[in-house]
Amino acid sequence: MMPLVRYIARRIVFVVPQLFGIVLVSFFLVKLIPGDPAVMMLGPTASAQSLAELRDKMGFTKPLLEQLTHYLADVARGDLGTSWQTTRPVTEDLFQRFPATLELVTFGLLLAIAIGFPLGVAAARLKRGVTRKVADYYGLLAGALPDFWLALVLIYVFYTVLGWIPAPLGRIDMAILPPPTISGSLVIDSLLAGDWEALRSSLGHLALPVLTLGLINAGPILKMTQSMTERTLSSDFVRYAEMCGLPRRVVLRQAVRAALPSVVTIISVLYGFLIGGAVLVEIVFSWGGAGQYAVQGVLNADLNPVLGFVVFSAVLSLVTYLIVDLIYFALDPRLRA
Amino acid sequence: MTVGTRFGSDAAAPATRVDAPWRRRLRFFFAVLRARPSFAVGYAIVGSVILVAVLAPWIAPFDPLKADPSVYLLPPGGRHLLGTDGAGMDILSRILYAPRVDLTIAVLGTLVSALAGGAIGAIVGYYEGQRAWRRALSATVMRSADVLQAFPVFVFAIALVAVFGQSVRSIVIAIAFVNVPIYLRLMRSQVLSIRQLRYVEAAYVAGASDLAILWRHIIPNAIAPLVAQLSINIGWSVLLTAGLSFVGAGVVAPTPEWGSMIAMGFQNVVTGQWWPSVFPGIALGLTVFGFALVGASIEVLADPARRRILSGSMA
Repeated sequence: MMPLVRYIARRIVFVVPQLFGIVLVSFFLVKLIPGDPAVMMLGPTASAQSLAELRDKMGFTKPLLEQLTHYLADVARGDLGTSWQTTRPVTEDLFQRFPATLELVTFGLLLAIAIGFPLGVAAARLKRGVTRKVADYYGLLAGALPDFWLALVLIYVFYTVLGWIPAPLGRIDMAILPPPTISGSLVIDSLLAGDWEALRSSLGHLALPVLTLGLINAGPILKMTQSMTERTLSSDFVRYAEMCGLPRRVVLRQAVRAALPSVVTIISVLYGFLIGGAVLVEIVFSWGGAGQYAVQGVLNADLNPVLGFVVFSAVLSLVTYLIVDLIYFALDPRLRA
Repeated sequence: MTVGTRFGSDAAAPATRVDAPWRRRLRFFFAVLRARPSFAVGYAIVGSVILVAVLAPWIAPFDPLKADPSVYLLPPGGRHLLGTDGAGMDILSRILYAPRVDLTIAVLGTLVSALAGGAIGAIVGYYEGQRAWRRALSATVMRSADVLQAFPVFVFAIALVAVFGQSVRSIVIAIAFVNVPIYLRLMRSQVLSIRQLRYVEAAYVAGASDLAILWRHIIPNAIAPLVAQLSINIGWSVLLTAGLSFVGAGVVAPTPEWGSMIAMGFQNVVTGQWWPSVFPGIALGLTVFGFALVGASIEVLADPARRRILSGSMA
């Protein structure tokens, strides 16, 4: 147990300054965005006096350094400020929206793993043949297609032409009452509530965005699985196992197991990337996720949501990396020494 | 007689005519394309995209900006080969004009990031682990790169565009910014491993200055992976540009650009007119695919070990 604790403690020591740097950079970046929130909030007809009052009240007249220390103190207390678009605290807004993004990204990546991993292992085992060709071209093609375009094509096929899927608006039918919030994931919540109608509707809304993310992100997972399995398959211990006459399936299982840490790494990197990177798919499906919230913030000079999103997603990806470290610990016996 | 001997073994045969080195290289290149047809496809795609970008005014059948409301949303076929969009603009002409914007942004953005990232990476890699303040400097640079990479790329890019104002120049800056850490890391790791080779030590003993060693001996040997990355990255930057335009933070609407064309056709797709969005997406995907293939081919050709395997399989 001790090495594990030491390992995690060392990680956290590195994480804190990094987090500080992220907040610092995003604070100054966001402050540089032109556009006066006071004008946006009160409209073009507001008097100069009320504008000045509002600016003063929001602290925009203070020196930047003082604004920064204020912000940092607030963040440390978990207060990310207020969004003038929704007129609600950003923390509340984000807690409402992040589950939507996480549900989308998690299911999308699970599908990507289900496609990419077996195909990658199969392609690594075969030097030639159809599977190999399919894997090679799939890897390149998946990285070349824009996800928002693929989402539109899927909408056309499955909604407009075939009509199998409900209209691509939001996470659940307007007419259906969403289940009581427990985990924030509509699928899990409706399962917990035993609400089959809500479950069917939320699964229907989830299908296309998840399919989009799954098809696109299976590419990198496939490539990594393939190249790492190929490497371990040509390594000495596999040759030794083959020489000993172990059955092919046992040897393959050993080789794949040795390739797993790198595959876990690419999955975690994708997860961190998609928390902010799924925003285009969110927009196409009017998903109402956190990325969409942040983009709206940038486009409307609503600064607090942008900052809050960056802080939130940075913390989330750091948590992801921490979990990945724990998985490494389980997978790689050398770390436990 | 001795001209060609460095490049191949068949130069030893006295009967063969001695070619200039560049012709041997060209012949090797075509042999590689024959052995790996997918590379040829990549070069063909990239070549034709560049050609289309240059020749757009002569090959486009219509003015890409002329909106004719009397022919809006015509299906593909007939006078408008790929149909017209919701404003009555010819889709084919707009697709042909689009690489002018998309490629310019992507190529400029990646070039800037490769130059900046490569230069910083080379210096950091060369001085790393030497005297105390230099070590501190390289540690600071690497940690800053960590911070830069920890940002959500897309939101970061949108914020940068917002800061610099919505223009082609800002998109180039945003793309350069988000790509710098990639080249920084790549160049640093290359320099770190080349720095300790014998010929670098020899140059040092001979009294060459740090700058001369870096410029003449290390960088020429470290640059190949960067060039491969450059090609892959151009494709990726085209995707990012299109994404920015799609949310309305990139190229402004009537300018022909693939991402904004897809965005303009968004509402039409739901009601059944697929062509305004689908065709630009295919053009975009093909372009990125082509640059990825070219990048893969450079990766193979620049790596002596993999090149040897390739020429072995060609013989």
